[in-house]
Amino acid sequence: MSTNSFTRKLRRFNIVTHRDVGYFFSALVIVYCLSGIALNHINEWNPDFIITKEEVDLKQTFTRENVTPELVKQFGNSVGETTYKVYDFPTNHQVKVYYQDASLLINLTEGKGVYERISRRPIFYQSNVLHRNSAPAWKWASDVFAVMLIVINVTGLFILKGKHGLGGRGKWLIAAGALPPLIVLIINGML
Amino acid sequence: MMTQFRQTAVKLFTLLFLVLFIIGCTPTAKEEASNNQKIGVLLVNHGSRSSTWRQVLMDLEKNVQSRILSGGVVKGTKTAHMEYTEPSIATQLKAFDAEGFTDVIIVPVFLTVSPHTFDDIPTIIGQKVDPQSLEVLKIEKIERYTPRAKTYLTPNLDFTDILKRNVLRRVKEISKDTNNEGLVLIGYGDETYDKEWGQLFDQVATYVKDSTGIAEHAYGWCGHIVHYNSDSTTAAINRVLNKKERAVVVPVLVAHDETFQVKIIGDGIDKIAKSDEKVIYRPDAILPDPNVESWVVQICDEFAAKVKNQTLTER
Repeated sequence: MSTNSFTRKLRRFNIVTHRDVGYFFSALVIVYCLSGIALNHINEWNPDFIITKEEVDLKQTFTRENVTPELVKQFGNSVGETTYKVYDFPTNHQVKVYYQDASLLINLTEGKGVYERISRRPIFYQSNVLHRNSAPAWKWASDVFAVMLIVINVTGLFILKGKHGLGGRGKWLIAAGALPPLIVLIINGML
Repeated sequence: MMTQFRQTAVKLFTLLFLVLFIIGCTPTAKEEASNNQKIGVLLVNHGSRSSTWRQVLMDLEKNVQSRILSGGVVKGTKTAHMEYTEPSIATQLKAFDAEGFTDVIIVPVFLTVSPHTFDDIPTIIGQKVDPQSLEVLKIEKIERYTPRAKTYLTPNLDFTDILKRNVLRRVKEISKDTNNEGLVLIGYGDETYDKEWGQLFDQVATYVKDSTGIAEHAYGWCGHIVHYNSDSTTAAINRVLNKKERAVVVPVLVAHDETFQVKIIGDGIDKIAKSDEKVIYRPDAILPDPNVESWVVQICDEFAAKVKNQTLTER
């Protein structure tokens, strides 16, 4: 087999690998990108759950001693909950009532409370579960995915030849892309 | 006739005596339960990726174990981490079940009320079903396990004045000139029970001030409530430095964790101009403390006695 023929076959293999591995992992790339953006802003929002809070005014004050199952049911009526699971006292002047997917924390001395309902944030919750490896054994799939991203990246570098290839504009763009992280590390004295 | 009557009476009397004797010897349900009882103690802490932190909590169990077991009521002790590393709460409760324990006293080695102590731990052990905890536990891959053994939760560390005495001791160890110093307490903090945390820190600071003559205090947070940012530490120190020459900074954290005592609080101090002169700081923690150990022993003894006498409801 001549060198030319071998190079041609290698190039063909490179293109096919880049194309097919790229297709295969495209959905996961999008999932990880979405989740990456969501988790980047974890301090500004809750990327996993939608937590709705509602202030409740019970119009009267209570003491811990007069909290009975009957009274707890009445608390539930004020937020549209008919049955509760359990209630407990985090402090002497607070009672927390647990419902299905919700809870009500009442300050007894103020007669006011906060009703909190939790639900999963669609798409983001599921994406984050995968990104954070919260699903059992996903860590290994995640490792394979990471290696495959390197394969997609490296094969991508060698698809084009000439002035649009790695030897042409490619090398300058790679260098330019490496600059932002380098600058940040230098500015913050981390190099 | 008389003889026959006497014989019947003797038989009846003997029968009655035997019945009474058997009843008297039969253990009551309470006694029977007590005989089969095997009480264990589980020290539960938050958990950390820091091995230094975890070691201190493992040492806590080592230091209290013989005293807890010496009473003869408690038959075993274990330690569990709520997050990050094994042994987890579920792992240890399964072990208690496997060893035939009937009752487990759970001692949360936590500072004060927080969703961890009030919601997460009870949800993990099957006492509660807090919806938010349920979801977070799934994400964090924290296993829930409802043991066959009955579980009883003791109060947190803030229940007694050991926290006040602990901080006072640590302030006295590093303070140089109380007239010109202000006190800064840095704790983890909590969004849900922010008011309670603030009150606790004010109480601790007031106690220290009354005992030392320090006149000013401030507190800041270093946990999730401030997104693990050091700005709250810096702000608290600056509040004190506005009135005093130097700030005595005390981390009110259960054990030493490099991320908190060194990175977050340390960074907060570094942002203060001339921090070498103006800030007195030792990156220590509440543990190790013999008073905390004594409290653990005492609370275990109290709960064990109640469990044994069945005067405690499962909680």
